[in-house]
Amino acid sequence: MLGQVVVSGILSGGLYAMVALGLALIFGVMRVINIAHGPLLMLGAYATFFLYSGLGMNPFLTVPLSMAALFVVGMLLQRSLVFRVVDAPELSSLLLTFGISIALVNLAQLAFTSDLRAVEYITGAWLVGGLALSKPRVIAFAFAAGVTALAFVFLQRTRLGRAIRATSQSREVAMVCGVDVGRIHMITFGLASALAAAGGSLLAVIVAIQPEMGQVWTFKSFLVIVLGGAGNYPGALLGGMLLGLVEQLASLFLTTQLSEVVAYVLLVLVLLVRPTGLLGGRQT
Amino acid sequence: MTPKALGVLLIALAVAAGSRPATAQGPIKVGASLSLTGTYAKLGKNQHEGYQLCQKDLNAKGGLLGRKIEFVVYDDQSMPATAVRLYEKLITEDKVDGVMGPYSSPVTEAVANVTEKYKKVMVSPLAATTSIFKKTPRRQYIFMVISPAEVYLEGLIDMAAKRGLKTVAVVNEDTLFSKAAASGASELAKKKGLQVVYQEAYPKGNTDFSALLTKVKAQSPDVIAAATYFDDAVALTRQMRELGVNPKMYGVTVGGDLPEFYDTLKQNAEYIYGATQWEPTLPYPGNQEFFETYKKEFGHEPSYHSAAGYAGCVIYAEAVKRAGSLDADKVREQLLKLETKTLFGDYKVDADGFQVAHKMVTFQWQGEKKVTVWPDELAKGKPKFPTPPWNTR
Repeated sequence: MLGQVVVSGILSGGLYAMVALGLALIFGVMRVINIAHGPLLMLGAYATFFLYSGLGMNPFLTVPLSMAALFVVGMLLQRSLVFRVVDAPELSSLLLTFGISIALVNLAQLAFTSDLRAVEYITGAWLVGGLALSKPRVIAFAFAAGVTALAFVFLQRTRLGRAIRATSQSREVAMVCGVDVGRIHMITFGLASALAAAGGSLLAVIVAIQPEMGQVWTFKSFLVIVLGGAGNYPGALLGGMLLGLVEQLASLFLTTQLSEVVAYVLLVLVLLVRPTGLLGGRQT
Repeated sequence: MTPKALGVLLIALAVAAGSRPATAQGPIKVGASLSLTGTYAKLGKNQHEGYQLCQKDLNAKGGLLGRKIEFVVYDDQSMPATAVRLYEKLITEDKVDGVMGPYSSPVTEAVANVTEKYKKVMVSPLAATTSIFKKTPRRQYIFMVISPAEVYLEGLIDMAAKRGLKTVAVVNEDTLFSKAAASGASELAKKKGLQVVYQEAYPKGNTDFSALLTKVKAQSPDVIAAATYFDDAVALTRQMRELGVNPKMYGVTVGGDLPEFYDTLKQNAEYIYGATQWEPTLPYPGNQEFFETYKKEFGHEPSYHSAAGYAGCVIYAEAVKRAGSLDADKVREQLLKLETKTLFGDYKVDADGFQVAHKMVTFQWQGEKKVTVWPDELAKGKPKFPTPPWNTR
């Protein structure tokens, strides 16, 4: 019973980690808390739905396409709106991204209607040593792990990735070293949106798709990056896994109703004991 | 203009002015706000179409009290606060002769305060929450048409008891409607001699039921009664299959009756029980005809929201006819006495205006179709019982 629940926790933790990494990137590089992160995830889910139902594509193979599409959307959003609040007080960026979030959800309601959609592609479970491994969730986890690994390789090994990390460490120094900070901001926002989109595409095979599916992911991602340390990228991984496990274990030992309470109590405890998050974040 | 022409004109005007009161006092205006945009838009529109069709049919039969009937409808954007403002406006500015209910329990709960204040009778065809009607101080002028949340799982529990099943697990989303449906189910189960071995609520928007289902599985209940909406019903079913949770009967509430439920789950929806307020196939008077006319008029099939809207309007009109007047107290008296059967099924309320006659119908998904299996007098087929384990399908 415990094993089953731990497995479920890890499987959902992988998705949390990937989606939250996007939020952590934006916060690290721009000091912007992107409330629209969840709605961008929702757009990714719709991208998968339309590619699957319209063109008959394998939903898992739509992940790169949906990421590419949202990469462009993210860059456009940054170029047209978000760049205006990068140096503004934090309240401005909260208000702006909150506005974008409401606009995206309502545009989606207009364009896609609030009818529930679903991608029914693969169901059932693999039985491994008495544990039931849900097929869609395991595959989604594998994809999320792959995408997250690629994102880390990109951040660690490529010139552009280094420039992103440099900007996140100190914008001034990066600028002096010849990094085009404006461009880095745009690319980071695109990348973060692509990570959200990947989350949406993978969720599409697990849950029903509707315009309001995203918001809860903004809050979960926020919880994850605060747990792990805001602006600390490996912290997002740890935070994601932790949230997945805590939710499942709390559901098992207490009630499902209390699992969210436990997650947020954990948040408060971490903030009390280690205000910079478990792996240490950056000071604002 | 010659004096003669002027005279003719004056006479014509006098005749026109004089003749107005003689041809009745204009149409009876019935006001309502409906959720034409916002979260409930789709359902609110269906209810609106129910009202529209009722207006058309009534007028074709000569109207009400010799006058035409005319709906005055505003959009409340699915928001209770907006609806409250609109009912104030309908009653005080538009001076409507009567009102009908809006869509959904939360909106009805809010506007009932307005209609009570102005002593307006309100037949509320789409409010299923018991507390709206059972209130102290008692609400005098509000009337219920559909069955309350508490009886949604009645059919499932009743069938389980008749088949000698012993244990039931009740799970529900932690929201007003689902909570009421779940508590109704567990009370009924106890009354029928079933043992409730497990009961748990989960938060709205929950997508991962592994922990909850692991606990349910440990109890291996004969019946799983789930008070759900759509998303959670789908997620719960998928994970039941993944985790190999095999009850002998498994039923859900809202969402299970949507065509999307089968489209999404495909063959996994087979054997699942669901509850519905109304189906076009039920043998109620005028139901078939309503279904056909509605489809022709609006280009799509009616939902139970459409049918309840239509029925609510018919019930109000019937009460007005019997009262012979639009006076709220006289109409109220008739609505309390009225016992009738519409295309939506039975109507009869208790002293609180609370619905006591309308029956929920339980169906089972069999071969891509919803087959009515309960109550016996309306059943179209036998339930396929017991539900086979997932791995033998």
